[in-house]
Amino acid sequence: MTSRGTPSRFLRSVLQNGVGRYVCQLKRVSIIFSKKAQGSLGVRDFIEEGVVDYAKKNPGTVVYVSPQPCRVPKIVAEYLNGNTKEELVTNKTSQQVLEVLTKLTDQSGLDIIRIRKPFHTDSPSIQGKWHPFTNRPPSAGFIRPQSQHAE
Amino acid sequence: MVFLTLSCWIRNRGPDRFWKVQELLKHARHFRGRKNRCYKLAVLAVRRAFVYSTKGRRFKKRNMRTLWITRIAAATREHGMKYPVLIHNLTKCSVQLNRRVMSDLAITEPRTFLSLAKLARARQQEGFQAALGDGKEPPGVLSRIMLQ
Repeated sequence: MTSRGTPSRFLRSVLQNGVGRYVCQLKRVSIIFSKKAQGSLGVRDFIEEGVVDYAKKNPGTVVYVSPQPCRVPKIVAEYLNGNTKEELVTNKTSQQVLEVLTKLTDQSGLDIIRIRKPFHTDSPSIQGKWHPFTNRPPSAGFIRPQSQHAE
Repeated sequence: MVFLTLSCWIRNRGPDRFWKVQELLKHARHFRGRKNRCYKLAVLAVRRAFVYSTKGRRFKKRNMRTLWITRIAAATREHGMKYPVLIHNLTKCSVQLNRRVMSDLAITEPRTFLSLAKLARARQQEGFQAALGDGKEPPGVLSRIMLQ
C-alpha cells in the first residue's frame, strides 16, 4: 500500500457542482434482492416503506427495484461520470438501508482513493506569485520617451 | 483398470494460487527488473517497500517541516531579517500562524509576508526599547496585551 503503488487524485468537484445549481451525481440505483431469503428482509421492508419517499425526494435519480433469486442483496449505484458502486446490504435493517442510500446519493462519482491535498483552489495567488524580482528594487530608472535624442 | 496405485498418487492442490500470487504482484508492478514479474523476488521487494512506506510516513512530516522552515528563512532574509527572529517576535505578538501557512503566504502572497516581517521587526524594536531604554512607559502598541 505504497503511495506510488496505489492510485491517488487531487480534490475536486465534478464540473464545479454546487457553485451554481447542485446536480445530484447519482444517475441510477438498482436494488437487487430476493423475495424469500432472510438476508433480504430489511431490503424488503425498505421497499415496502421508504423507497417511494426516497425516489420522490431525488427526482434526478432513477430507482430500479429488481427482485431476483439471489443469495446476497445488493444496491448498485451508477454515477454521471460512469463509475459504478456496489454495496452489499445483507442482514441490514430498513433504516440502515436508507442510510446506505443517502450515503450513495451524497457521493459524487469520483474514485475513493487517496486524496493528495485536502484543499483545492483555482486561484491560489491573489497578490501575484513570488518570482526572484518581486522584492528587488528596480536597478535602471523608469522608461522615458526619447524626446531629448530626437532634438 | 489393472494398475490402481497410480491414481492414488495424484494430489489435488488448491485452486487459488494464481489469484494469491496476483494479489502480491499487483503491488510490485511498478518495480524495476525481474522483481515486477517473479514471485520469489517480488515477495522480498514488496515487503521492503511496505516497510519503507511505514517509515516514510514519519519522515514526511519531518521533511515537510524543514522545507517550510527553509522557505520562510529564505523569504525573511530577502527582507533583511533572520528566521529565528521572525518566529520569536511573531509568537510574542501572539500571531499563531504555523510554518505551513507562512510558507504558502511567502510564495503566493508576498506583500502579506512583507507585512508580517515588518510586524516582527517592530515588535523586536519595542523589545529593545523596553530592555535598554529608560524604563519609561514604552510608546509601543504591539507589546501591550489587552486584558479583558
